[in-house]
Amino acid sequence: MNLDFLTRKFENRLKYPFLIWKDDSYSYGWLLQQIREFQKTPAYSEVKPGCPVLLEADFSPKAVALFLALIQKAAILIPLSQGTGEAKKKESLEIAKPCLRFSLNAQDELEVSPFSHEPHFPYYEELKKRKHPGLVLFSSGSTGKIKAAVHDFAGILEKFKTPRHDFITIAFLLFDHIGGIDTLFYALSNGSLLVTLETRDPELVAQTIQKYQVEVLPVTPSFLNLLILSGAYQRYSLSSLKYITYGTELMPEITLQKLKNIFPNVILFQKYGTTEVGTLRSKSESSDSLWVKVGGEGYQTRVVDGMLEIKADSAMLGYLNAPSPFTSGGWFQTGDLVEVKGEYVKFLGRASELINVGGQKVYPAEVENIIQQVVNVKEVTVYGEKNPLLGQIVCAQVSTNQAEEPEQVAEKIQIFCRQKLESYKVPVKVLVTSCLQTSDRFKKKRIG
Amino acid sequence: MEEITAIIFEAINQINRQLDIDKQLVKSEAAVLYGPSGKLDSIGFVMLIVNIEQRLKKKYKKAITLTNEKAMSQKNSPFLSVRSLTLYIQKLLAEKR
Repeated sequence: MNLDFLTRKFENRLKYPFLIWKDDSYSYGWLLQQIREFQKTPAYSEVKPGCPVLLEADFSPKAVALFLALIQKAAILIPLSQGTGEAKKKESLEIAKPCLRFSLNAQDELEVSPFSHEPHFPYYEELKKRKHPGLVLFSSGSTGKIKAAVHDFAGILEKFKTPRHDFITIAFLLFDHIGGIDTLFYALSNGSLLVTLETRDPELVAQTIQKYQVEVLPVTPSFLNLLILSGAYQRYSLSSLKYITYGTELMPEITLQKLKNIFPNVILFQKYGTTEVGTLRSKSESSDSLWVKVGGEGYQTRVVDGMLEIKADSAMLGYLNAPSPFTSGGWFQTGDLVEVKGEYVKFLGRASELINVGGQKVYPAEVENIIQQVVNVKEVTVYGEKNPLLGQIVCAQVSTNQAEEPEQVAEKIQIFCRQKLESYKVPVKVLVTSCLQTSDRFKKKRIG
Repeated sequence: MEEITAIIFEAINQINRQLDIDKQLVKSEAAVLYGPSGKLDSIGFVMLIVNIEQRLKKKYKKAITLTNEKAMSQKNSPFLSVRSLTLYIQKLLAEKR
Protein backbone atom coordinates (compact mmCIF):
# COMPACT_ATOMS: atom_id res chain seq x y z
CA MET A 1 0.00 0.00 0.00
CA ASN A 2 1.12 3.44 -0.86
CA LEU A 3 2.19 5.45 2.19
CA ASP A 4 3.11 8.62 0.28
CA PHE A 5 1.27 10.91 2.67
CA LEU A 6 3.61 9.72 5.42
CA THR A 7 6.86 9.40 3.46
CA ARG A 8 6.42 12.90 1.98
CA LYS A 9 6.16 14.19 5.53
CA PHE A 10 9.25 12.23 6.56
CA GLU A 11 11.25 13.60 3.58
CA ASN A 12 10.55 17.13 4.73
CA ARG A 13 11.74 16.26 8.23
CA LEU A 14 14.87 14.21 7.43
CA LYS A 15 17.02 15.76 10.15
CA TYR A 16 14.30 15.94 12.79
CA PRO A 17 14.01 13.20 15.41
CA PHE A 18 10.98 10.90 15.23
CA LEU A 19 11.82 8.78 18.26
CA ILE A 20 13.72 8.90 21.53
CA TRP A 21 14.54 5.37 22.58
CA LYS A 22 16.78 4.51 25.53
CA ASP A 23 18.03 8.10 25.52
CA ASP A 24 19.12 7.97 21.89
CA SER A 25 17.50 10.04 19.19
CA TYR A 26 16.48 8.61 15.79
CA SER A 27 15.68 10.90 12.86
CA TYR A 28 13.05 10.69 10.14
CA GLY A 29 15.95 10.25 7.71
CA TRP A 30 17.07 7.18 9.72
CA LEU A 31 13.50 5.87 9.64
CA LEU A 32 13.25 6.11 5.84
CA GLN A 33 16.66 4.45 5.49
CA GLN A 34 15.69 1.65 7.90
CA ILE A 35 12.45 0.98 5.99
CA ARG A 36 14.54 0.61 2.81
CA GLU A 37 16.96 -1.73 4.63
CA PHE A 38 14.08 -3.98 5.68
CA GLN A 39 12.77 -4.01 2.15
CA LYS A 40 16.07 -5.50 0.96
CA THR A 41 16.06 -8.42 3.43
CA PRO A 42 15.12 -11.99 2.35
CA ALA A 43 12.55 -12.17 5.18
CA TYR A 44 10.72 -9.16 3.77
CA SER A 45 10.44 -10.76 0.34
CA GLU A 46 8.73 -13.73 1.98
CA VAL A 47 5.90 -11.49 3.16
CA LYS A 48 3.12 -11.56 0.60
CA PRO A 49 0.14 -9.19 0.55
CA GLY A 50 -2.51 -10.53 2.93
CA CYS A 51 0.08 -12.53 4.88
CA PRO A 52 -0.61 -12.40 8.63
CA VAL A 53 2.59 -11.39 10.41
CA LEU A 54 3.25 -11.37 14.14
CA LEU A 55 5.21 -8.30 15.20
CA GLU A 56 6.50 -8.94 18.70
CA ALA A 57 7.89 -5.63 19.91
CA ASP A 58 7.47 -2.50 21.97
CA PHE A 59 7.88 1.06 20.76
CA SER A 60 11.43 1.01 19.36
CA PRO A 61 13.13 2.50 16.28
CA LYS A 62 13.11 -0.74 14.30
CA ALA A 63 9.59 -1.66 15.43
CA VAL A 64 8.25 1.54 13.87
CA ALA A 65 10.26 1.02 10.66
CA LEU A 66 9.15 -2.59 10.39
CA PHE A 67 5.53 -1.65 11.07
CA LEU A 68 5.58 0.83 8.18
CA ALA A 69 7.45 -1.52 5.85
CA LEU A 70 4.89 -4.27 6.49
CA ILE A 71 2.00 -1.88 5.83
CA GLN A 72 3.60 -1.02 2.49
CA LYS A 73 3.62 -4.73 1.68
CA ALA A 74 -0.12 -4.90 2.53
CA ALA A 75 0.59 -7.53 5.20
CA ILE A 76 -1.82 -8.20 8.05
CA LEU A 77 -0.06 -6.96 11.17
CA ILE A 78 -0.53 -8.68 14.49
CA PRO A 79 1.34 -6.55 17.05
CA LEU A 80 2.02 -8.02 20.48
CA SER A 81 3.89 -6.21 23.25
CA GLN A 82 7.00 -7.99 24.54
CA GLY A 83 5.52 -8.01 28.04
CA THR A 84 2.50 -10.11 27.04
CA GLY A 85 2.09 -13.11 29.34
CA GLU A 86 2.86 -16.55 27.87
CA ALA A 87 -0.71 -17.84 28.21
CA LYS A 88 -2.22 -14.80 26.49
CA LYS A 89 0.41 -14.93 23.77
CA LYS A 90 -0.27 -18.59 23.08
CA GLU A 91 -4.02 -18.03 22.93
CA SER A 92 -3.61 -14.97 20.67
CA LEU A 93 -1.43 -16.88 18.21
CA GLU A 94 -3.81 -19.81 18.10
CA ILE A 95 -6.62 -17.43 17.18
CA ALA A 96 -4.86 -15.17 14.66
CA LYS A 97 -2.60 -17.84 13.11
CA PRO A 98 0.29 -15.72 11.79
CA CYS A 99 2.55 -17.20 9.09
CA LEU A 100 5.68 -15.30 10.11
CA ARG A 101 7.08 -13.96 13.35
CA PHE A 102 9.15 -10.77 13.48
CA SER A 103 10.50 -10.32 16.97
CA LEU A 104 12.57 -7.40 18.26
CA ASN A 105 14.43 -7.98 21.51
CA ALA A 106 15.43 -5.44 24.18
CA GLN A 107 18.46 -4.44 22.06
CA ASP A 108 16.19 -3.90 19.05
CA GLU A 109 17.71 -6.87 17.23
CA LEU A 110 15.43 -8.60 14.79
CA GLU A 111 14.73 -12.29 14.69
CA VAL A 112 12.46 -13.81 12.04
CA SER A 113 10.94 -17.27 12.17
CA PRO A 114 8.13 -19.03 10.32
CA PHE A 115 4.95 -20.58 11.73
CA SER A 116 3.28 -23.63 10.25
CA HIS A 117 -0.19 -22.04 10.31
CA GLU A 118 -2.26 -21.98 7.14
CA PRO A 119 -5.00 -19.55 8.07
CA HIS A 120 -8.21 -19.44 6.07
CA PHE A 121 -10.23 -16.56 7.40
CA PRO A 122 -12.74 -14.72 5.21
CA TYR A 123 -11.54 -11.39 6.66
CA TYR A 124 -7.93 -12.14 5.69
CA GLU A 125 -9.12 -13.10 2.21
CA GLU A 126 -11.12 -9.88 1.97
CA LEU A 127 -8.07 -7.78 2.85
CA LYS A 128 -5.99 -9.66 0.29
CA LYS A 129 -8.65 -8.96 -2.35
CA ARG A 130 -8.71 -5.27 -1.42
CA LYS A 131 -4.86 -5.24 -1.51
CA HIS A 132 -5.05 -3.39 1.80
CA PRO A 133 -2.90 -3.94 4.90
CA GLY A 134 -4.67 -5.35 7.94
CA LEU A 135 -4.37 -5.03 11.67
CA VAL A 136 -5.37 -7.58 14.28
CA LEU A 137 -5.96 -6.32 17.80
CA PHE A 138 -6.95 -8.43 20.77
CA SER A 139 -9.64 -7.52 23.23
CA SER A 140 -11.17 -9.45 26.10
CA GLY A 141 -14.77 -10.43 25.63
CA SER A 142 -17.48 -10.70 28.28
CA THR A 143 -16.51 -14.29 29.02
CA GLY A 144 -12.85 -13.41 29.52
CA LYS A 145 -11.88 -15.16 26.31
CA ILE A 146 -9.70 -13.16 23.98
CA LYS A 147 -11.37 -11.81 20.84
CA ALA A 148 -9.37 -10.89 17.76
CA ALA A 149 -10.60 -7.80 15.89
CA VAL A 150 -9.53 -7.54 12.23
CA HIS A 151 -9.21 -4.04 10.79
CA ASP A 152 -8.56 -2.72 7.33
CA PHE A 153 -5.52 -0.57 8.04
CA ALA A 154 -6.28 1.67 5.06
CA GLY A 155 -9.41 2.78 6.92
CA ILE A 156 -7.51 3.45 10.13
CA LEU A 157 -4.91 5.52 8.27
CA GLU A 158 -7.51 7.69 6.56
CA LYS A 159 -8.00 10.02 9.52
CA PHE A 160 -4.28 10.67 9.82
CA LYS A 161 -4.20 12.26 6.35
CA THR A 162 -5.55 15.51 7.78
CA PRO A 163 -2.57 17.50 9.11
CA ARG A 164 -2.82 18.33 12.80
CA HIS A 165 -0.54 19.76 15.46
CA ASP A 166 3.10 18.85 15.90
CA PHE A 167 3.65 17.91 19.54
CA ILE A 168 6.33 16.03 21.45
CA THR A 169 4.41 13.08 22.86
CA ILE A 170 5.16 10.26 25.27
CA ALA A 171 4.42 6.72 24.10
CA PHE A 172 2.70 5.60 27.29
CA LEU A 173 -0.07 3.37 25.94
CA LEU A 174 1.11 0.02 24.63
CA PHE A 175 2.26 -0.90 21.15
CA ASP A 176 -0.50 -3.50 20.70
CA HIS A 177 -3.30 -1.28 22.01
CA ILE A 178 -5.56 0.87 19.82
CA GLY A 179 -4.53 3.90 21.92
CA GLY A 180 -0.82 3.17 21.39
CA ILE A 181 -1.30 2.80 17.63
CA ASP A 182 -3.25 6.05 17.57
CA THR A 183 -0.42 7.83 19.44
CA LEU A 184 2.15 6.44 17.00
CA PHE A 185 0.36 7.46 13.81
CA TYR A 186 -0.69 10.84 15.14
CA ALA A 187 2.99 11.59 15.81
CA LEU A 188 4.28 10.19 12.50
CA SER A 189 1.64 11.88 10.36
CA ASN A 190 2.58 15.26 11.81
CA GLY A 191 6.34 14.69 11.63
CA SER A 192 6.50 14.84 15.41
CA LEU A 193 8.71 13.34 18.07
CA LEU A 194 7.60 10.36 20.12
CA VAL A 195 9.44 9.66 23.38
CA THR A 196 9.47 6.05 24.58
CA LEU A 197 9.59 4.81 28.17
CA GLU A 198 11.39 1.82 29.66
CA THR A 199 8.91 1.56 32.51
CA ARG A 200 5.68 3.36 33.32
CA ASP A 201 6.78 4.37 36.80
CA PRO A 202 5.61 7.93 37.70
CA GLU A 203 9.14 8.95 38.67
CA LEU A 204 10.60 7.94 35.30
CA VAL A 205 7.68 9.45 33.37
CA ALA A 206 8.10 12.81 35.14
CA GLN A 207 11.85 12.73 34.59
CA THR A 208 11.32 11.97 30.89
CA ILE A 209 8.84 14.83 30.49
CA GLN A 210 11.38 17.26 31.94
CA LYS A 211 14.31 15.90 29.97
CA TYR A 212 12.65 15.91 26.56
CA GLN A 213 10.25 18.81 27.10
CA VAL A 214 7.27 16.56 26.41
CA GLU A 215 4.08 18.39 25.42
CA VAL A 216 1.44 15.65 25.33
CA LEU A 217 0.97 12.98 27.97
CA PRO A 218 -1.60 10.35 26.88
CA VAL A 219 -2.24 8.18 29.94
CA THR A 220 -4.83 6.46 32.12
CA PRO A 221 -6.57 7.99 35.17
CA SER A 222 -4.90 5.37 37.39
CA PHE A 223 -1.50 6.50 36.27
CA LEU A 224 -2.45 10.11 37.01
CA ASN A 225 -3.51 9.04 40.51
CA LEU A 226 -0.10 7.48 41.04
CA LEU A 227 1.65 10.52 39.61
CA ILE A 228 -0.14 12.70 42.15
CA LEU A 229 0.49 10.32 45.03
CA SER A 230 4.17 9.76 44.26
CA GLY A 231 4.74 13.51 44.31
CA ALA A 232 6.98 13.02 41.25
CA TYR A 233 5.42 16.09 39.61
CA GLN A 234 6.98 18.21 42.39
CA ARG A 235 10.47 16.89 41.83
CA TYR A 236 10.66 17.69 38.11
CA SER A 237 9.68 20.63 35.98
CA LEU A 238 6.68 19.57 33.92
CA SER A 239 6.11 23.06 32.53
CA SER A 240 6.50 21.84 28.93
CA LEU A 241 3.22 19.91 29.17
CA LYS A 242 0.37 21.31 27.08
CA TYR A 243 -2.09 18.42 27.09
CA ILE A 244 -2.83 15.50 29.35
CA THR A 245 -5.19 13.08 27.67
CA TYR A 246 -6.81 10.27 29.61
CA GLY A 247 -8.87 7.25 28.68
CA THR A 248 -9.38 3.45 28.83
CA GLU A 249 -11.22 3.66 32.20
CA LEU A 250 -13.37 6.08 34.18
CA MET A 251 -11.73 9.22 35.50
CA PRO A 252 -12.62 9.89 39.16
CA GLU A 253 -13.92 13.42 39.52
CA ILE A 254 -11.61 14.11 42.46
CA THR A 255 -8.51 13.13 40.47
CA LEU A 256 -9.54 15.45 37.66
CA GLN A 257 -10.01 18.35 40.09
CA LYS A 258 -6.64 17.70 41.63
CA LEU A 259 -4.97 17.59 38.22
CA LYS A 260 -6.55 20.89 37.32
CA ASN A 261 -5.06 22.43 40.46
CA ILE A 262 -1.64 20.89 39.94
CA PHE A 263 -1.52 21.69 36.23
CA PRO A 264 -3.53 24.92 35.83
CA ASN A 265 -2.07 25.66 32.40
CA VAL A 266 -2.43 22.18 30.94
CA ILE A 267 -5.48 21.22 28.92
CA LEU A 268 -6.94 17.98 30.26
CA PHE A 269 -9.07 15.99 27.90
CA GLN A 270 -10.71 12.67 27.68
CA LYS A 271 -10.04 10.25 24.81
CA TYR A 272 -12.38 7.48 23.82
CA GLY A 273 -11.88 4.48 21.63
CA THR A 274 -12.45 0.77 21.40
CA THR A 275 -10.53 -2.08 19.82
CA GLU A 276 -13.46 -2.56 17.46
CA VAL A 277 -14.02 0.97 16.13
CA GLY A 278 -10.72 2.71 16.85
CA THR A 279 -10.16 6.03 18.58
CA LEU A 280 -12.76 8.73 18.07
CA ARG A 281 -12.00 12.42 18.05
CA SER A 282 -13.10 13.92 21.31
CA LYS A 283 -13.43 17.22 23.09
CA SER A 284 -13.96 17.63 26.82
CA GLU A 285 -16.36 20.39 27.82
CA SER A 286 -13.53 21.88 29.89
CA SER A 287 -10.39 20.68 31.64
CA ASP A 288 -12.26 19.98 34.86
CA SER A 289 -15.31 18.39 33.25
CA LEU A 290 -16.09 14.74 32.65
CA TRP A 291 -18.57 15.71 29.94
CA VAL A 292 -17.09 14.91 26.58
CA LYS A 293 -18.12 15.14 22.95
CA VAL A 294 -17.06 12.07 21.00
CA GLY A 295 -17.29 11.47 17.28
CA GLY A 296 -15.51 13.34 14.54
CA GLU A 297 -15.29 12.65 10.85
CA GLY A 298 -16.21 9.09 9.97
CA TYR A 299 -18.05 8.41 13.22
CA GLN A 300 -21.71 8.59 14.23
CA THR A 301 -22.87 8.04 17.78
CA ARG A 302 -26.20 7.37 19.45
CA VAL A 303 -27.36 6.30 22.88
CA VAL A 304 -29.75 3.36 23.17
CA ASP A 305 -31.04 2.35 26.61
CA GLY A 306 -28.31 4.38 28.26
CA MET A 307 -25.60 2.62 26.28
CA LEU A 308 -23.32 4.27 23.74
CA GLU A 309 -23.43 2.90 20.20
CA ILE A 310 -21.02 3.84 17.45
CA LYS A 311 -21.11 3.57 13.69
CA ALA A 312 -17.70 4.02 12.16
CA ASP A 313 -16.43 4.16 8.58
CA SER A 314 -13.23 2.53 9.81
CA ALA A 315 -14.77 -0.07 12.12
CA MET A 316 -13.18 -3.51 12.20
CA LEU A 317 -14.32 -6.01 9.58
CA GLY A 318 -15.20 -8.37 12.41
CA TYR A 319 -13.82 -10.80 14.96
CA LEU A 320 -11.86 -13.87 13.86
CA ASN A 321 -13.34 -15.97 16.64
CA ALA A 322 -16.67 -14.44 17.71
CA PRO A 323 -19.98 -13.43 16.17
CA SER A 324 -20.41 -9.89 14.85
CA PRO A 325 -21.07 -7.36 17.63
CA PHE A 326 -22.74 -4.94 15.18
CA THR A 327 -26.47 -4.37 14.89
CA SER A 328 -28.03 -5.03 11.47
CA GLY A 329 -27.69 -1.28 10.84
CA GLY A 330 -23.95 -1.45 11.52
CA TRP A 331 -23.91 0.08 15.01
CA PHE A 332 -21.35 -1.19 17.50
CA GLN A 333 -22.79 -1.67 20.96
CA THR A 334 -19.99 -0.47 23.20
CA GLY A 335 -21.28 -1.75 26.54
CA ASP A 336 -20.43 1.67 28.02
CA LEU A 337 -23.19 3.32 30.01
CA VAL A 338 -23.48 7.07 29.54
CA GLU A 339 -25.46 10.08 30.63
CA VAL A 340 -26.36 12.59 27.91
CA LYS A 341 -26.35 16.40 28.00
CA GLY A 342 -26.90 17.94 24.57
CA GLU A 343 -23.94 16.95 22.43
CA TYR A 344 -21.95 15.75 25.42
CA VAL A 345 -21.87 12.40 27.19
CA LYS A 346 -20.52 11.36 30.56
CA PHE A 347 -19.27 7.79 30.98
CA LEU A 348 -20.74 5.95 33.94
CA GLY A 349 -19.13 2.56 33.67
CA ARG A 350 -19.36 -0.80 31.95
CA ALA A 351 -22.60 -2.58 31.70
CA SER A 352 -20.93 -5.86 32.47
CA GLU A 353 -19.27 -6.99 35.66
CA LEU A 354 -15.75 -6.43 34.60
CA ILE A 355 -13.30 -5.40 37.26
CA ASN A 356 -11.00 -2.66 36.07
CA VAL A 357 -7.70 -2.53 37.95
CA GLY A 358 -5.84 0.54 36.79
CA GLY A 359 -7.22 0.18 33.26
CA GLN A 360 -6.52 -3.54 33.11
CA LYS A 361 -9.54 -5.77 32.87
CA VAL A 362 -10.14 -8.67 35.21
CA TYR A 363 -12.89 -11.18 34.69
CA PRO A 364 -14.24 -12.62 37.94
CA ALA A 365 -14.64 -16.06 36.40
CA GLU A 366 -10.97 -16.33 35.49
CA VAL A 367 -9.84 -15.60 39.05
CA GLU A 368 -12.57 -17.80 40.52
CA ASN A 369 -11.35 -20.69 38.40
CA ILE A 370 -7.89 -20.39 39.93
CA ILE A 371 -9.04 -19.92 43.54
CA GLN A 372 -11.31 -22.91 43.21
CA GLN A 373 -8.16 -25.02 42.81
CA VAL A 374 -6.76 -24.06 46.22
CA VAL A 375 -6.91 -26.85 48.81
CA ASN A 376 -9.88 -26.58 51.21
CA VAL A 377 -11.68 -23.88 49.19
CA LYS A 378 -15.35 -24.73 48.86
CA GLU A 379 -16.97 -21.79 47.09
CA VAL A 380 -15.66 -18.50 45.79
CA THR A 381 -17.09 -15.25 44.44
CA VAL A 382 -14.76 -12.68 42.96
CA TYR A 383 -15.83 -9.06 42.71
CA GLY A 384 -14.41 -5.59 42.35
CA GLU A 385 -14.18 -3.06 45.10
CA LYS A 386 -13.59 0.65 44.62
CA ASN A 387 -10.08 1.75 45.35
CA PRO A 388 -8.89 5.34 45.36
CA LEU A 389 -5.56 4.45 43.78
CA LEU A 390 -6.34 1.87 41.16
CA GLY A 391 -10.00 2.52 40.47
CA GLN A 392 -10.86 -0.98 41.55
CA ILE A 393 -9.19 -3.90 43.25
CA VAL A 394 -9.99 -7.58 42.99
CA CYS A 395 -11.62 -9.09 46.08
CA ALA A 396 -12.73 -12.62 46.82
CA GLN A 397 -15.20 -14.10 49.24
CA VAL A 398 -14.61 -17.76 49.95
CA SER A 399 -15.97 -20.51 52.11
CA THR A 400 -13.93 -23.54 53.17
CA ASN A 401 -14.65 -27.22 53.56
CA GLN A 402 -12.90 -27.56 56.92
CA ALA A 403 -12.47 -24.80 59.47
CA GLU A 404 -9.17 -23.01 58.92
CA GLU A 405 -7.63 -19.78 60.21
CA PRO A 406 -8.98 -17.00 57.85
CA GLU A 407 -5.60 -15.28 57.59
CA GLN A 408 -3.97 -18.51 56.56
CA VAL A 409 -6.64 -19.13 53.90
CA ALA A 410 -6.21 -15.61 52.52
CA GLU A 411 -2.45 -15.87 52.28
CA LYS A 412 -2.59 -19.32 50.72
CA ILE A 413 -4.97 -18.03 48.03
CA GLN A 414 -2.87 -14.96 47.30
CA ILE A 415 0.34 -16.97 46.97
CA PHE A 416 -1.37 -19.51 44.71
CA CYS A 417 -2.92 -16.80 42.52
CA ARG A 418 0.40 -14.99 42.20
CA GLN A 419 1.91 -18.14 40.68
CA LYS A 420 -0.94 -18.53 38.21
CA LEU A 421 -2.10 -15.00 37.32
CA GLU A 422 -0.76 -11.56 36.47
CA SER A 423 -0.27 -9.60 39.71
CA TYR A 424 -3.19 -7.22 39.11
CA LYS A 425 -5.58 -10.19 39.05
CA VAL A 426 -4.51 -11.47 42.47
CA PRO A 427 -7.21 -10.71 45.06
CA VAL A 428 -6.08 -7.94 47.36
CA LYS A 429 -8.77 -8.82 49.92
CA VAL A 430 -9.93 -12.30 50.76
CA LEU A 431 -12.90 -12.67 53.09
CA VAL A 432 -13.62 -16.05 54.58
CA THR A 433 -17.27 -16.74 55.38
CA SER A 434 -19.21 -19.80 56.44
CA CYS A 435 -21.17 -20.10 53.19
CA LEU A 436 -21.81 -18.07 50.04
CA GLN A 437 -25.19 -16.94 48.83
CA THR A 438 -26.82 -17.91 45.60
CA SER A 439 -29.68 -16.15 43.86
CA ASP A 440 -33.13 -17.66 43.42
CA ARG A 441 -32.07 -18.73 39.94
CA PHE A 442 -29.24 -20.76 41.49
CA LYS A 443 -26.68 -18.34 40.15
CA LYS A 444 -23.84 -16.93 42.13
CA LYS A 445 -24.84 -13.68 43.77
CA ARG A 446 -22.53 -10.98 42.54
CA ILE A 447 -21.15 -8.47 44.98
CA GLY A 448 -20.40 -4.94 44.04
CA MET B 1 3.76 3.93 68.33
CA GLU B 2 5.76 0.67 68.46
CA GLU B 3 2.50 -1.21 68.20
CA ILE B 4 1.64 0.46 64.90
CA THR B 5 5.14 -0.05 63.52
CA ALA B 6 4.86 -3.72 64.49
CA ILE B 7 1.59 -3.97 62.54
CA ILE B 8 3.23 -2.44 59.46
CA PHE B 9 6.15 -4.88 59.80
CA GLU B 10 3.73 -7.81 60.04
CA ALA B 11 2.03 -6.63 56.84
CA ILE B 12 5.43 -6.22 55.14
CA ASN B 13 6.29 -9.79 56.21
CA GLN B 14 3.14 -11.11 54.62
CA ILE B 15 3.60 -9.18 51.36
CA ASN B 16 7.29 -10.16 51.18
CA ARG B 17 6.34 -13.84 51.28
CA GLN B 18 4.62 -13.26 47.91
CA LEU B 19 7.47 -11.35 46.29
CA ASP B 20 10.77 -12.29 44.65
CA ILE B 21 13.75 -11.56 46.91
CA ASP B 22 14.89 -8.52 44.90
CA LYS B 23 11.42 -6.97 45.15
CA GLN B 24 11.03 -7.45 48.90
CA LEU B 25 10.70 -4.53 51.28
CA VAL B 26 13.22 -3.95 54.04
CA LYS B 27 11.76 -3.96 57.54
CA SER B 28 13.12 -0.71 58.86
CA GLU B 29 11.54 2.54 59.95
CA ALA B 30 13.29 4.35 57.12
CA ALA B 31 12.19 1.86 54.45
CA VAL B 32 10.55 3.59 51.48
CA LEU B 33 7.02 2.27 50.89
CA TYR B 34 6.09 4.25 47.81
CA GLY B 35 8.30 6.96 46.45
CA PRO B 36 11.46 7.68 44.49
CA SER B 37 13.40 4.53 45.42
CA GLY B 38 10.46 2.31 46.38
CA LYS B 39 10.47 -1.31 45.24
CA LEU B 40 6.74 -1.98 45.16
CA ASP B 41 4.68 -1.64 42.02
CA SER B 42 1.23 -0.11 42.29
CA ILE B 43 -0.48 -3.45 42.95
CA GLY B 44 2.08 -4.43 45.58
CA PHE B 45 1.64 -1.07 47.25
CA VAL B 46 -2.17 -1.37 47.34
CA MET B 47 -1.85 -4.92 48.71
CA LEU B 48 0.36 -3.66 51.51
CA ILE B 49 -1.97 -0.78 52.37
CA VAL B 50 -5.09 -2.98 52.40
CA ASN B 51 -3.25 -5.53 54.53
CA ILE B 52 -2.32 -2.83 57.05
CA GLU B 53 -5.93 -1.52 57.07
CA GLN B 54 -7.23 -5.02 57.80
CA ARG B 55 -4.75 -5.49 60.66
CA LEU B 56 -5.63 -2.10 62.15
CA LYS B 57 -9.31 -2.99 62.01
CA LYS B 58 -8.68 -6.24 63.82
CA LYS B 59 -6.47 -4.66 66.47
CA TYR B 60 -8.31 -1.39 67.16
CA LYS B 61 -11.83 -2.34 65.98
CA LYS B 62 -11.82 0.78 63.84
CA ALA B 63 -12.13 1.08 60.06
CA ILE B 64 -9.23 3.25 58.95
CA THR B 65 -8.88 4.25 55.29
CA LEU B 66 -5.29 5.04 54.44
CA THR B 67 -5.51 5.95 50.77
CA ASN B 68 -8.19 8.56 50.56
CA GLU B 69 -8.25 12.09 49.28
CA LYS B 70 -6.90 13.32 52.60
CA ALA B 71 -3.81 11.13 52.38
CA MET B 72 -3.23 12.13 48.80
CA SER B 73 -3.50 15.83 49.49
CA GLN B 74 -0.94 15.81 52.35
CA LYS B 75 1.98 18.05 51.60
CA ASN B 76 4.39 15.22 52.40
CA SER B 77 3.17 11.80 51.33
CA PRO B 78 2.53 9.60 54.38
CA PHE B 79 3.70 6.63 52.31
CA LEU B 80 7.28 7.76 51.93
CA SER B 81 8.53 5.59 54.79
CA VAL B 82 7.40 3.22 57.54
CA ARG B 83 8.02 6.03 60.02
CA SER B 84 5.84 8.59 58.19
CA LEU B 85 3.05 6.03 57.80
CA THR B 86 3.23 5.13 61.51
CA LEU B 87 2.79 8.81 62.42
CA TYR B 88 -0.07 9.18 59.95
CA ILE B 89 -1.90 6.13 61.36
CA GLN B 90 -1.36 7.38 64.90
CA LYS B 91 -2.99 10.68 63.88
CA LEU B 92 -5.95 8.93 62.22
CA LEU B 93 -6.51 6.70 65.25
CA ALA B 94 -6.43 9.70 67.56
CA GLU B 95 -9.04 11.45 65.38
CA LYS B 96 -11.28 8.39 65.58
CA ARG B 97 -11.15 8.30 69.36
